[in-house]
Amino acid sequence: MLLDAVIIVLRETLEAGVLISLLLVLLNTRHSALWVLPALVLGLVGSFVYMWQLPAVSTWFDYVGQEVVNASLQYLIFILLLVLLALRSSPWFAKTELVASLAGVMVALAIIREGVEILLFYSGFWHSDEGFIKPLLSGFIGLMIGFSVGGIVYYLLLPLAEKLGGLLVRLVLTFVAAGMVSQATQLLMQADWLPTSLPIWNSNGLLPEQSLVGTLAYAVLGYESTPTALQATIYWGAIILATAAQLATQLFFNSVKPTDSQ
Amino acid sequence: MIHSRQQHSLLWRSLLLAAALLLSQVAVAAPVIELHIRDHLFYPAELMVPANTKIKLVVINEDATAEEFESYELNREKVVLGNSRAVIFIGPLAPGEYPFFGEFNLSTAQGKIIVKDE
Repeated sequence: MLLDAVIIVLRETLEAGVLISLLLVLLNTRHSALWVLPALVLGLVGSFVYMWQLPAVSTWFDYVGQEVVNASLQYLIFILLLVLLALRSSPWFAKTELVASLAGVMVALAIIREGVEILLFYSGFWHSDEGFIKPLLSGFIGLMIGFSVGGIVYYLLLPLAEKLGGLLVRLVLTFVAAGMVSQATQLLMQADWLPTSLPIWNSNGLLPEQSLVGTLAYAVLGYESTPTALQATIYWGAIILATAAQLATQLFFNSVKPTDSQ
Repeated sequence: MIHSRQQHSLLWRSLLLAAALLLSQVAVAAPVIELHIRDHLFYPAELMVPANTKIKLVVINEDATAEEFESYELNREKVVLGNSRAVIFIGPLAPGEYPFFGEFNLSTAQGKIIVKDE
């Protein structure tokens, strides 16, 4: 077994797996899960296209094209997630196609972002003597662990979601959204497009980012052990924005309900 | 009226000045440090860097296969394609040691950045 392959595939699939599970819980009561399959296919095809274009993309903006494209993908996921969370309290949430498309595009974008790294890792074995079988089998183990974690998240949150009227899953997705923005911001700092500074704290001793719990906290809550002031501000700003968007639609549609026959 | 226009232009001038100051700060070129990847190893495996300074790290991958430069301590992660280069800005950093690794070759590609007060 190749431990590298297990770890890489697990780390890259964990985030997408958690996002798929949370969206399935959010959409569960009113929508079918049929959108997941086209989203996976679209994400996989997109990953191949991105890998094919990466030699060019990498040289953009004086060799920081990767950061700019990846950050854009994550800002886009954030915006779509924000729209979906706001829609949750509106009558439009009943429009199956609209909601499923939003969720599907989000998942596809997340897969493109992570999938390209897995593809590049495997492309390294193309000319090697080691062959594909061992790394592929090891990667499959990583994939299965990633999916299992996604499954655990799904089955833990689903009964709670029904009891709490989706409050918990919306809260978790709000953190996921903020995590997306925080990661994107970090990428732009890596590209020197945004100013950097010394971290404002270091919680690595408390919860190391590379530990299993740390990785999960990173995927679900956007956990960052050494954030800069800008990153922390943008993270909490995103949480406030997402919460405000949800509260606003909820208040608006609750207030129009008596005159609305829905 | 004239008075208010003067005030207006003064405001614009100070805004422009502030923007120029901010831009000039951004435009100060960060010191460049090169890091090579050869046979899935980092050369040099240890990099000395001054504290509280932003660094432009140029990673040159001489291998035919891609590598991913990654560091939890530096909060950095970037794919470096085979036979190509990548730019990663790091810091400003407090004095200390910051390990990094090649995620695609965890067993061999290891290194660290040592940050010292000047």
